[in-house]
Amino acid sequence: MLLAASALLLGIPAAATAYASSATMGTGWIRLAHLSPNTPAVDVYLYSFGNSNAMIVLHHVAYGTVSPYESVQAGDYSVAMRAAGASATSQPVLSTSVTVSAGHAYTVAGMGPESGLRLQILDDELTAPPGQALVRVIQASLKEQVVKVTLGSTVLADGLKFASVSSYQAVSPGAMTVTVSSSGGTVNSSVTLAAGTVHTLVVLDGASGLEVVSLEDASGMGEPPLGGVSTGFGGTAPHGPGSPVPWLAAIGAGSLLALTGGLRLRRNRQLHAGV
Amino acid sequence: MPTRRPAAALALAAGLVVIAGGTAGLLLTRHPTPAMRPVAAGVAALPAPTGPIVAPPQSAAPTPVAAPVSLTIPLIGVQTQLITLGLTSTGALQVPSTTSVAGWYTGSPRPGAIGPAIIVGHIDSLTGPGVFYRLSELKAGDRVYVKRADGTLAEFRVTSVQTYLKDQFPTEDVYGPVPDPELRLITCGGAFDAATGHYLSNIVVYATEVG
Repeated sequence: MLLAASALLLGIPAAATAYASSATMGTGWIRLAHLSPNTPAVDVYLYSFGNSNAMIVLHHVAYGTVSPYESVQAGDYSVAMRAAGASATSQPVLSTSVTVSAGHAYTVAGMGPESGLRLQILDDELTAPPGQALVRVIQASLKEQVVKVTLGSTVLADGLKFASVSSYQAVSPGAMTVTVSSSGGTVNSSVTLAAGTVHTLVVLDGASGLEVVSLEDASGMGEPPLGGVSTGFGGTAPHGPGSPVPWLAAIGAGSLLALTGGLRLRRNRQLHAGV
Repeated sequence: MPTRRPAAALALAAGLVVIAGGTAGLLLTRHPTPAMRPVAAGVAALPAPTGPIVAPPQSAAPTPVAAPVSLTIPLIGVQTQLITLGLTSTGALQVPSTTSVAGWYTGSPRPGAIGPAIIVGHIDSLTGPGVFYRLSELKAGDRVYVKRADGTLAEFRVTSVQTYLKDQFPTEDVYGPVPDPELRLITCGGAFDAATGHYLSNIVVYATEVG
C-alpha cells in the first residue's frame, strides 16, 4: 500500500516531463473518403470504440470527397456509413473498426461498386525520402476498370484495377504531367510535388471521362533545420552575484589615494610646525 | 609647502569617496538578482485580430496559402511582424537579428498549409524581454493567429508546450512531417549559462489549425 502510494508519487513528475510530437503525445490521424462511383452521398460517422456518441459526423459526403485529417488519440475507432440524411441511430449501411497508432495516419474509404461497397483502411505514409516526394495512386474509376498512371517518365502504376491502391514511389520534386491511360483514351493533368511531401493521386469518373485529383497527404520540409535555436541573450535570466574584483580594486585604489593625501597633509603640518 | 595642502586634502577626500563607493558596490552586488517576473497572464491580453478565416484546405481541393506577415498571441501580448528566416551555413535555423520580432522559416510550409510551419523568436535581449518572453505561459487550448499577405487569417489551437535541452532537441518531433496544418513556435528557456551566454533549453509550442 505504502509502496504503491510512493510509486504513484514518483510516477507523477515522470509523466509530466514526457515529451511531445504526435507519436510521443499519443495522437494519430484519420480521414474519411467516399470513392465508390455509383454509391449515392452518405453520412460518415467516426466513433471512439465502444462509445455510441459520434466524435465526428460528416454529412452528405459525395463520391470523390476526401476529408482533411483529424487528429485523434491513439486507440480503437469505428467508422459507420449511413445514407445521407438517415437517422444517427439507424442501422449503418457499412461499418468497420480501425486501430490508430500514435504518429500514424489512416484513410478510411468507401470503395468498390455500390453492390460490393466496402470500407477499406489505408495506411498513409507521412515521410518522404530526403529531398524527394512520395506518390501513390488510388484507382476509383468504374468507367475505366484498368488504368496505367505515369508521372513525367515514371510509371506509378500499370494495370491498376478499379478499387485498388498502388504502392508508394519516391520521385524527384517539381512540376510534372500526370498521364492516365486506359482503353477509353488518355487524360493529362499537371501536378507540383514539393520535396518532403507525400501525395495521393485519385483517379475518378468525371462528368465526361476520367479526372485526376492530387491530394497532399503530408508535408515536412525539404531541408529540416539541424537542432534547436539560439534565441536569448540572458537579459531576463536570473544572475548569480557579480565578480567582487572591480569593487575591491576600487576600495584598494581609494585607500591608496586617501593614504597618500593623508600622509601629505601630515607632512605639511609637520613642515609648518618646524618653521 | 602650503600650496600642496588643498591637493593633499582633495586626494584624501577623493580616496574616502572611492572607498565608500567601492564598499557600497561590493555590498549591493553580493545578492543574486532573480529572474524578471512576467506580468500576470491576461494583463496585456490583446484582442484577437480580425480578418477572413479561411478554412483549412480540403485535401481534395488544395488552395494555395499566402505567405505569413504577422503573428498575434492575445493571451501573452504578442503582436509582431514576421520576417523571413533561412538556414545558417551549419544548417541550423537562422534567428531574427533583433529580439523584438519573430520570423518564419521559409523552408517550412506556410502557416495554414499542410505540414509544420516554423516560427522563431527571442526570449530576451541583453537587457530585457524579447518578443517570445512569455511563450512558456501558453497552455493547451490557447489561440495563436497568423495573418497572411492576402489579408486572410489562420487560427491555431495550442496542443502542447514542451521544454527540451538543446543537446537533446527532438528534431523529428519538431520539424518532421504531419498530415494537417500545424505550427511550431520556438524560443529559448531553461537555465542560462553565463559562461557561454546561451540558454540550455528550447521551448517549443505545438499548435494545430482550427478547422
